[in-house]
Amino acid sequence: MKRGMDGLKSLLLVVGGTVALAFLLILMVGGDIPTALGSFLRGIFGSTYAMGEVLVRATPLLLASLGVGIGFKTGFTNLGAEGQLYMGSITITTVAMLFPSLPPLVMIPLVMVLGFFAGGLWALIPGFLKARFSISEIIMTIMLNYVAINLVGILVRTILRDPAYPYPMSPMLTESVHFSQMLLPTRIHGGLPVALVMVIAVYMLLFRSRLGYEMRAVGLNARACRCSGIKVDRAMVLSAMIGGGLAGLAGVGEIAGLHHRLIEGISPGYGYMAIIIALLGKNHPVGILIASLGIAALQVGSMAMQRSAGIPTSIASTIMGAMVLLLVVRDARSRITIVEEGV
Amino acid sequence: MELLIVITTFGAAAIRMAIPLALAGLGESISEKSGLLNIGVEAIMLCGAFFSFITLFFTGSFFLGILAGILGGVSMSMIHALLSIRYKANQTIVGLALNFFALGLTSFLFLMGFGQTTTLPSTPVMSNLPIPLLSKLPLLGGILFSQNLFVYLLLIFMVLTHIWFYKTDFGISLHAVGEHPIAADTAGIRVHSVRYFAALCNGALGGLGGAYLTIVKLGFFQENLTEGKGYIALVTVILGKRRPFGVLGAALIIGGAEALQIRLQTMGTGIPSQLFSMFPYLMTIMALLLTIGSADAPSALGIPYDRDER
Amino acid sequence: MPILRMENICKSFFGSYANENVCMEVLDGEIHALLGENGAGKTTLMNILYGMYHKDSGTITLDGQPIAFNNPKEAIAHRIGMVHQHFTLVPTLTVQQNITLGLKDSGYPFSHERARCAKIGELSESYGLQTNGRSLVKDLSVGEMQRVEILKLLYRNARLLILDEPTAVLTPQESEHLFAMLTKLKLEGCSIIVITHHIQEVLDHCDRVTILRDGRSIATVETRAVDTKDLSRLMIGRELVPVARDRATRSTTAEVLELDDFTFKRNSGKSSTVNLKIAESEIVGIAGVDGNGQKEFLESLMGLKKIERGTLLFCKEDLSHADTTARRSAGIGYISDDRHGDSLVLDMGIDENLMLRPARSNEKKTWGLMDRNSITTEARRIVSSYAIKTHSVSEPMRLLSGGNQQKLVLAREFLGKPRLVIAFQPTRGLDIGATEFIHTQLLRMRDEGCAILLVSTNLEEILLLSDRIAVMHEGRFMDILANEHVDITRIGLLMAGIEAEEDAL
Repeated sequence: MKRGMDGLKSLLLVVGGTVALAFLLILMVGGDIPTALGSFLRGIFGSTYAMGEVLVRATPLLLASLGVGIGFKTGFTNLGAEGQLYMGSITITTVAMLFPSLPPLVMIPLVMVLGFFAGGLWALIPGFLKARFSISEIIMTIMLNYVAINLVGILVRTILRDPAYPYPMSPMLTESVHFSQMLLPTRIHGGLPVALVMVIAVYMLLFRSRLGYEMRAVGLNARACRCSGIKVDRAMVLSAMIGGGLAGLAGVGEIAGLHHRLIEGISPGYGYMAIIIALLGKNHPVGILIASLGIAALQVGSMAMQRSAGIPTSIASTIMGAMVLLLVVRDARSRITIVEEGV
Repeated sequence: MELLIVITTFGAAAIRMAIPLALAGLGESISEKSGLLNIGVEAIMLCGAFFSFITLFFTGSFFLGILAGILGGVSMSMIHALLSIRYKANQTIVGLALNFFALGLTSFLFLMGFGQTTTLPSTPVMSNLPIPLLSKLPLLGGILFSQNLFVYLLLIFMVLTHIWFYKTDFGISLHAVGEHPIAADTAGIRVHSVRYFAALCNGALGGLGGAYLTIVKLGFFQENLTEGKGYIALVTVILGKRRPFGVLGAALIIGGAEALQIRLQTMGTGIPSQLFSMFPYLMTIMALLLTIGSADAPSALGIPYDRDER
Repeated sequence: MPILRMENICKSFFGSYANENVCMEVLDGEIHALLGENGAGKTTLMNILYGMYHKDSGTITLDGQPIAFNNPKEAIAHRIGMVHQHFTLVPTLTVQQNITLGLKDSGYPFSHERARCAKIGELSESYGLQTNGRSLVKDLSVGEMQRVEILKLLYRNARLLILDEPTAVLTPQESEHLFAMLTKLKLEGCSIIVITHHIQEVLDHCDRVTILRDGRSIATVETRAVDTKDLSRLMIGRELVPVARDRATRSTTAEVLELDDFTFKRNSGKSSTVNLKIAESEIVGIAGVDGNGQKEFLESLMGLKKIERGTLLFCKEDLSHADTTARRSAGIGYISDDRHGDSLVLDMGIDENLMLRPARSNEKKTWGLMDRNSITTEARRIVSSYAIKTHSVSEPMRLLSGGNQQKLVLAREFLGKPRLVIAFQPTRGLDIGATEFIHTQLLRMRDEGCAILLVSTNLEEILLLSDRIAVMHEGRFMDILANEHVDITRIGLLMAGIEAEEDAL
């Protein structure tokens, strides 16, 4: 009981510290807190459109961080969600350009499945190398991020290029690959229900399926799993693949629901934010859902703060980084206390 | 004659591209050799770039600017060290969080200092310091000896670090700390102090690398100036196998590729620059694949040292 | 003239005593043995002397002056040096670099290789410790590495040397060489403490011996005055009550396990070969002092380590190269000595820990999902039939007592209806109640036809349960005896590596 109260107290300290930092930064830039806070909150809750924006932002974040979270649960540090996302985007663009006349009923599931596999493949490479050869996935996944991002750059300038525009991007994709707009006047698109379904699916996988159990057990004590006859390599590789696939789906969603064409920079670092969200959400689907909404709100709100109160949006990135650092210290201190108590 | 000029300018350009990578890579090598894995090199370089710029802008002194850059980098690396050593945190998470934090903080402070402007505030750029006599040499003179201060500093640091690693007792201690901290501890070496010192060097060199970008290369600062150079520095560390001259070599290769790419762009070929940008990352993946079966990294890399864990 | 005196040293970890009022005295210029089984507290005592642990109470005097070192560096400054069981050498550095590690030696801050190698050469010459200063440590043999460790101490002018189980990693010839060298050191003025559990060594090479048992010092005697029987009695000395053990009537003598030329690699790098047959409803106990290859043997049996050659037949099926999953699915259960590391996921509850086994094809599934209800029901059933004290079946295992944790491990292993259960130190650290319970369960499984391979350093336990007893020493079976004809003393001698009665004199 004491530990639970201590845990809550320290969590409040972390949140408090972060908020204090935010206020400090606001003051430093000459803004005043009530105005800034007001524009922040209005930017999130002020209108249906605003709330919709939060959900729009949360969609790719949710998918990607579910993927990252699955990896973490199995002991696989997936820093490559960014690249896996882009692989999904590349896939949907390619398919849509190759088969523009497919009906939506075929097209949508097809691109989702293929996008999932593309992202999954991108994560499979480091996952397999880790399981089989113990090569660290930390650097490998980051490298693949950059390969994917540059691949996009190459493709939109060559094969997938829209000749009508000087700016490198793919042509507008066929209607059949567009996710419908769900709730006008917001930009919420079909990706959101997909993401929400995935929350449930991931929960079922991790906590109700045999495979998910093995993944969790491997993440907690791989040695005991090995001694018990559980196939550790299989769990690791599948975890990586599914995680990458979810990030790939995020990429599919961004194209199908928002941009409808492939351009560079459709992800302002969603893959990296996903890592932070997974940490905040303690790798649990529900925690991740809440954290995704939180970070999405932070992003949207900070943009509103910039428009109305002149506070730079970079405050969001600063806050996110600081929050993780404070959390890390908090987690470390609680671990040290447990050791000292001899539990 | 024409060819000589082309080679000279190309070589000089390659070196210029390589400098920030080599400096940051050198710093990270020192850190990794002691067992600290810091993927927050972006944060170090970004702070180095920002603080050196802003100091130069307001004081007009290159010396102070360089100093500020070093301090900026050190602040990031020491936070990483504190969390990793004292709090035994996951070093990768800390590095990543620092990257976010530094990105946000530098953009924020920049906008705070200068506001939203269409014309970027700029500073004068450090000019080259050709070494008398040596700069008159054909080829080498142009490539190596008509460069700016940072190049010379880099070379000096390379040599110093090489000597440090392989010829001094302190280098042996550093190696022991990263490979077998228990052995080092029993021999009386203060493992934590060595790691803190390594982090200090990492921050200083990385900060210097970032300072180069603003003070020498660009003369201005903008949001996310480093744009992934920190990760490429990590690449040089892997390709160079954590050896000072290996890192320099890797940085030169990558720098050369970048110089080549720019040359090709100005020549107007349709080859997308991204093909060249991919190059260092693909090389690293190859290098990592080639390490299958060989124990390359310091054995205690990324693992916090705890004397009670037996 | 005692140079070292340790009086009433007490040290406890997490509530249990590792050293309880231990007394020890080392004279100037002697080789003093510290004898005892593993867990007797020998290494703890020396670690306290060396500054790696802090004692709870007691006094240590060196040359008449009271001392208490806070870290090894201080001990080294007082000319005390220790060579641990696990070498503290950096494999990727040279011999010279390892020896001078951390020293501000000649030529500081530069490592003057030539001068230092010369000095090392002189030292190695005078003490007969052959080594090459320029070799990389990872290329050295184990014997050579040990020489380097000793040179490290001599280089720092140590005159009290502590060696922890030095012959554990050496061949008999290398051991001879080691003791010859130690005798030479003794003559040069060093005093040496040798931590060991090999009785013959003590008698052959050491002057005096202090025996530790269960954390207490039992006696200090001159080796001239005792023989192997005396020492083994002092070392193991338990009151053994002969127990009536019901023998199950076996209808068949079908072989469950057959090991033929089964060769595995021990941690020291040496290979060991074992031959063994176990029948249905039979309990074979392997006695032996800890660290004689038991763990490596069992890991090879379970498929966690590859064997070098030989065959493993399980119920006539060749599983010599099968992976752990296959072996478990075939019906081999494993109760490890390290339940926290090998058998349990502490952050999961009883219900989820019950699932820590290869996925069974007959598991109740709809849509690939697990049937939570049946798992919970099963867990509850086990909690009641095994009397596991817990609040709920989903409470993290971490919070259960050791005995209850072990009960779960047993329950899980038995759940799969195995044909063979390997039990490694199944009752270590448990109270009487839990111990008796586990013994009862093991006997019950035997009665139902299961074969049991029991490996334990607790001789009482082995004698209580086994039909046949094998003694493992240095990775091989010294002998396999039927329990009826067993003689405690003989077993003690076998455990110490002494074969026939004649050697004891």
